[in-house]
Amino acid sequence: MKKSIIVFLVAILVMGSAVYFVFGSGQLFKSIDILHFGIISIVVGFALYVGFKRWNSEKRGEPAEDELSKKVLQKAAAISYYVSLYLWVFLLFIKDRIVFDTEELIGTGILGMALTFAISWLVIHLKGLANG
Amino acid sequence: MDNRIKEFRARHDLTQDELAKKVNVRRETIVFLEKNKYNPSLKLAYDLAKVFSVAIEELFIFDQPNQNE
Repeated sequence: MKKSIIVFLVAILVMGSAVYFVFGSGQLFKSIDILHFGIISIVVGFALYVGFKRWNSEKRGEPAEDELSKKVLQKAAAISYYVSLYLWVFLLFIKDRIVFDTEELIGTGILGMALTFAISWLVIHLKGLANG
Repeated sequence: MDNRIKEFRARHDLTQDELAKKVNVRRETIVFLEKNKYNPSLKLAYDLAKVFSVAIEELFIFDQPNQNE
């Protein structure tokens, strides 16, 4: 239960910070800001979904984590690690061709990694681990 | 690998929830097992066989691929 509450609190904190930085700056949005905000919303939505699932399991008297959820998490982490390597190579490739601040580049990379993990987790979760 | 968890669960008149609690996993894991979307660890396979009082090989059917193919 404690871990689920932490997940919810962190998700709210991240979303609050994102809203503050994007909408509270008083400046006009750049397209990259909207992209970042969209990715943050997806990642926070994913965290809330996982947190809700954990909370629901605990409420039913089941363990919050079991061997399947741990394996899905491990495989998603492994896949997103490989994809992230290519993502950073791609970002380094386009940084000389598109005007990018260093902060924007790092922010895009980190959000891309988070998004990759969320997508990997979702795909593995839906597909199952028959041979894993 | 195929399994007969659904069949044995019905024979023992257990719900997925009850079986999940007996082997200390989430209900979702039982759903994945019954749909053949997950191969369990040896410990979970042993625990499931113990709940149904059968041998592991009776519960899980391992289709060994033909080595001549």
